Amino acid sequence: MKIQVNEQALTLPNSMNIEQLLSHLEKPLIGSAVAVNMQVISRSEWTQYNINEGDNISLFQAIAGG
Amino acid sequence: MLSDNELLRYSRHLLLEEVSEAGQHKLKNAKVLIIGMGGLGSPAALYLAAAGIGHLVLNDFDDIEVSNLQRQITYQNSDIGESKVEVTKQRLQQLNPDIKVRSINKQMPEQQLSMELTMADLVLDCTDNMATRQMINKACVDAKVPLIVGAAIRLEGQLMFFDHSQAESPCYHCLFPSSEEQTLNCSNAGIIGPVVGTIGTLQALEAIKYFVGLPSGIKNKLKLFDGKTLDWQTFAINKDTQCSVCGQV
Repeated sequence: MKIQVNEQALTLPNSMNIEQLLSHLEKPLIGSAVAVNMQVISRSEWTQYNINEGDNISLFQAIAGG
Repeated sequence: MLSDNELLRYSRHLLLEEVSEAGQHKLKNAKVLIIGMGGLGSPAALYLAAAGIGHLVLNDFDDIEVSNLQRQITYQNSDIGESKVEVTKQRLQQLNPDIKVRSINKQMPEQQLSMELTMADLVLDCTDNMATRQMINKACVDAKVPLIVGAAIRLEGQLMFFDHSQAESPCYHCLFPSSEEQTLNCSNAGIIGPVVGTIGTLQALEAIKYFVGLPSGIKNKLKLFDGKTLDWQTFAINKDTQCSVCGQV
């Protein structure tokens, strides 16, 4: 399955949900936010939200500085 | 009625049909609580005072340090060691004697914050740590007070606006649900002054737009600013129905 993660093309070996994608990418679950096609997906939905072919995934971190 | 002095002072607002005299009155009657007088709060407070926001409440508990001066543009070298809120209050009154400025020179406990929110029309979160951000968010949700959140580190900025007067509004906690996140801040990650200044300036712009009745471009949205490319990304935020702060309506 071909998707985009932070504007980089990525091929996934199998279908997965958001939490599985973060594990696959070795990204921390804590402190990360995820958007699919410019829509933020709440953390409570990560295990139910399955990634689809062509999805544009954005991963970013909470920042607190000011 | 605006005085002759006010007509002159705000003449560049009055030329705009988006503000006009009616809008200037709304700014004059507005009460804004700004929490954090660092790199975000400095430009935000200066612009809101200049714009004629009638009541500003400034909260911080820090004294000015030499390492603040690289980005916190309200302060001067001779202010080192002085209280941030007291110096800012003095500067804002010099800038605009027509407005009322009150300072709170302490870390507000939840109860005091809730009390302050009963007197505020809008809050600007200009703080520098996740625990305080979560506390402000919860207090604003509970008090139904709109919240404009800014954050910045390195060459990155984040900007969002949650109108908690609307029950269906998402909140900061829907986006970032943990207060124990290992978040980066300006002291451990670094920051370039104009990056944090850009975000603080836009918090002030959104505040002015809110009071004069212009729709916000960031309501229920997260804007990410990349200071390297000057690119902006915009993400929609939906209410998390499982959110422990705003989910149980």
